[in-house]
Amino acid sequence: MILQTIITGLSIGSIYALMAVGYSLVFSVLNFSNFAHGAIITLGAYIAWAIMVQFLRVPFLPALLLSILGAGILAFLNERIAYRTLRRRRAPSLYLMISAMGVAIALQNLLYATIGAKLYALPPVFAQDAFEVGGATISRMDLFAFVFSVVAIGLLHCGLMYTKVGTAIRAASHDMEMVSVLGVNLDVLVAVLFLIAGGLGGMAGVFMGVKYMVYPSMGWITNKAYIGAVIGGLGSLPGAIVGGMLLGLLEALVSVTTIGSVQLSTYRDVFSFGILAILLIVRPTGLFGRLVEEKL
Amino acid sequence: MAYAQAIFTNSAIYIIAAMGLAIFTGYTGLFSLGHAAFMAVGAYTAAILTYFYHWPLLPALLMGMIVSVLVSLVVGYPTLRAKLRSDYFAIATLGFGEALKVILENLDLTQGARGLPGIQKLAGPLNTAVWMVLTIWVCRNFLRSTYGRKIIAIGQDPVAAEMIGIRLLPNQMLSLGFSAALAGLSGGLLAHYVTFIQPAIFSMDLSSLLTAGVVCGGMGSLTGPFVATALFVVVPELFRGLALWRLVLYGVLLVVIMNLRPKGLYGHEELSLGNLPKLFLIIGLTVGLTIGSVLYRDYVPEWGEIPAWLLAAVVALGVTVAMNYAGRGLAWLLRPVLPRLGATWHRGFNRIVRLFDGLFIPRERMARTAGAVDPRPHADAAAADTPLLSIRGLSKHFGGVVAVDGVDLDVWPGQIVGLIGPNGSGKTTVFNLTSGVYPIDSGAVTFDGRALAGQSPTSIVLSGISRTFQNIRLFSNMTVLENVQTALHTAGDYGLLAAFVQWPWTVQSTEERLRTRAMELLGVIELGAYADRVAGTLPYGLQRKLEIARALALQPKLLLLDEPAAGMNPQESLDLVELIKRIHERMQLTVVLIEHHMDVVMNLCERIAVLNFGKKIAEGTPDEIQSNPLVLEAYLGQKVEYAPQG
Repeated sequence: MILQTIITGLSIGSIYALMAVGYSLVFSVLNFSNFAHGAIITLGAYIAWAIMVQFLRVPFLPALLLSILGAGILAFLNERIAYRTLRRRRAPSLYLMISAMGVAIALQNLLYATIGAKLYALPPVFAQDAFEVGGATISRMDLFAFVFSVVAIGLLHCGLMYTKVGTAIRAASHDMEMVSVLGVNLDVLVAVLFLIAGGLGGMAGVFMGVKYMVYPSMGWITNKAYIGAVIGGLGSLPGAIVGGMLLGLLEALVSVTTIGSVQLSTYRDVFSFGILAILLIVRPTGLFGRLVEEKL
Repeated sequence: MAYAQAIFTNSAIYIIAAMGLAIFTGYTGLFSLGHAAFMAVGAYTAAILTYFYHWPLLPALLMGMIVSVLVSLVVGYPTLRAKLRSDYFAIATLGFGEALKVILENLDLTQGARGLPGIQKLAGPLNTAVWMVLTIWVCRNFLRSTYGRKIIAIGQDPVAAEMIGIRLLPNQMLSLGFSAALAGLSGGLLAHYVTFIQPAIFSMDLSSLLTAGVVCGGMGSLTGPFVATALFVVVPELFRGLALWRLVLYGVLLVVIMNLRPKGLYGHEELSLGNLPKLFLIIGLTVGLTIGSVLYRDYVPEWGEIPAWLLAAVVALGVTVAMNYAGRGLAWLLRPVLPRLGATWHRGFNRIVRLFDGLFIPRERMARTAGAVDPRPHADAAAADTPLLSIRGLSKHFGGVVAVDGVDLDVWPGQIVGLIGPNGSGKTTVFNLTSGVYPIDSGAVTFDGRALAGQSPTSIVLSGISRTFQNIRLFSNMTVLENVQTALHTAGDYGLLAAFVQWPWTVQSTEERLRTRAMELLGVIELGAYADRVAGTLPYGLQRKLEIARALALQPKLLLLDEPAAGMNPQESLDLVELIKRIHERMQLTVVLIEHHMDVVMNLCERIAVLNFGKKIAEGTPDEIQSNPLVLEAYLGQKVEYAPQG
């Protein structure tokens, strides 16, 4: 029973982590919460739905790759349209947040206005295919999503550590201006950043779509990924992963718990936010966050 | 007619909430995603009270406001306390909104997702309008009080605000509470106007509407959010078929406004003669579109698609243009009359104030108020036998870099001390440690007999050390006068309630004195002529002077000037030297000065300390410093021995 819960938690947690990484990547360099990331995740899922179900019958893996690519490009365009001017003008982060919020509202409601509020299912990839380990059932899709997420995050980590662009991104998260003075083209760097964040988001969107459903508000900022990123400490990559996983586990745990006759699953969201509130009181910068001080 | 009434009442209700958000986001600079949730708290509290307990409307509304304020403070305290970035507050409010929804949907008292139907219809156009006017009046009063100026200062530059002694947490909490109260009021009115509430009403859509209203209307303005929110309620009514696209439009508007015109319609300005035509243009556009859409609907069956559309477009354009010119004409007509009207009003008002002054206020209270802004008496400089500021073994490192390394410095009352040294030698860090910006690693700073280590920047400032900044940090959207008035916040002696209502016999007279005092300070600094200019538009040299005036408004005993002459030409530097000499004498100030212009330092300072690589390498009179070999080496590099050849 407890093993099953942990497995469920990890499988959803890995997807949360995948999404949370996108929030944290952007935050670490540009210092604002990209609320539009959730909309990109949603659009990634819709791309998969469009090419797998609605218009074509593309098989899963190519569809996944196309979604990753599509979401990456959408994230890049999002930056071009909504943030670039502000970034160049060195606008306060409040402005960037509002702009991101605008993108999120516009995209989500664009989906409502065009495709509608209906829930769509993505075709099952590994139909009914589950195996048992020590009394717990593991669905093959969950395992696939977990492995794929871990591999993607691992690749991202290697990319950040061992490539030139990765080094530039890490440097920019400390001091963007200095990096630009050293001859790094900031526009290119930010473009790469959003491509990566969007791509990971698209991947997560497809996994979410397969696991649950595809609908316009699936990536709305109340999604747990952003909370995971905050719990882990905004701007920290390991924080995003741990935060996402932790939240997934917690949710799985809360969902199966009952106190008296009250099923706690009804209050699952209250729990996630409650954890967040407690954490903010105890450790305001999140588990791995750093406090950014302003230079006088 | 009933339809127009409905639109009006709806706008009025949303405007009340938008005013609250304008205070919080527009003025305080904090981002909230949960104002709809505060509305929900107010709505449910008030509705439950009238529905189940048969309270009358007024106490129910007040109760709703109170509960909303309490809830907002509980939600806001953890994030605001830790001085976290605005992102965290946004997520906290967002989380609260979600949690509240779940709770409302599962509580018996709120009847779950079905909501509360059949609430008494106690709110109508009339009392809603009264509440709206009251709200705007209170907001305006609040913003023109010392409390409001503190909040505006925090919104423009929190660091600078702290450095003039404004504590962030209580003021941000005040702003949050005030704005939540208005949201609660708005929610309560909404519940009693639509007579049916359910959790889904207070969704993200509502928060989006309010945010869009504040942002598009313009941050740092009440007029703007008022106009924009009204537009957002009225205009979608015209395009009923586009209901789904309304939110898309809000989103796009947020992006477009932020990127192309961050000040929105009325950013950092209120309605005045200068922007009256703009208001008329907006009204003209709305009225034009209304008439146009009605005409279109009426004439499509007769004339066909295109002619009807053309007619509508022509009429809409015509009305817009006509209104635009009407606005300009009105502004032109009023221009000569208005100042005179204002003067008459002011005179009449002052007469009433004086009457009340005589009637109601005890003599000693009046005397106290009058003295509130006078300079505090200083100890006689010559009599002092302990240094005013004493720094012992001060050290600070950032990671592996030792920025300040065991610095000792004594500053005696009345002295002007120079702190010089090459770039990166730790001068500004000494200031930052003294004023509490960074915690001290080791060593002690004693000011006026009190140890400063561990004290917050605000309490250090209020104990008598004020400073200026290397990179100018003015409240750049305020006027010159307001910058100084804001720094006079410690001299405001009226309570919060008085600030909301602005009793003419307490608040206005204090405000009058604050203004006079601020003008005096501007006079000292020779900026009197620029009092009404927006600070950010001043030339660089004058901004530096204004920063000094702002620091002086705190009546410091010790003034820390960080490169006051940076970027000035020789003539301006000379003027600055005169200015510093003048204020030094006139206000019996002690001054520590970081400066690279040697003529300024040598002219002003009776003693100079030299830092290099975080260590003090010399201290003495200007003459001694000028001939000190260590100093010359630090500035000009190692002396190369010239070896004669042959």
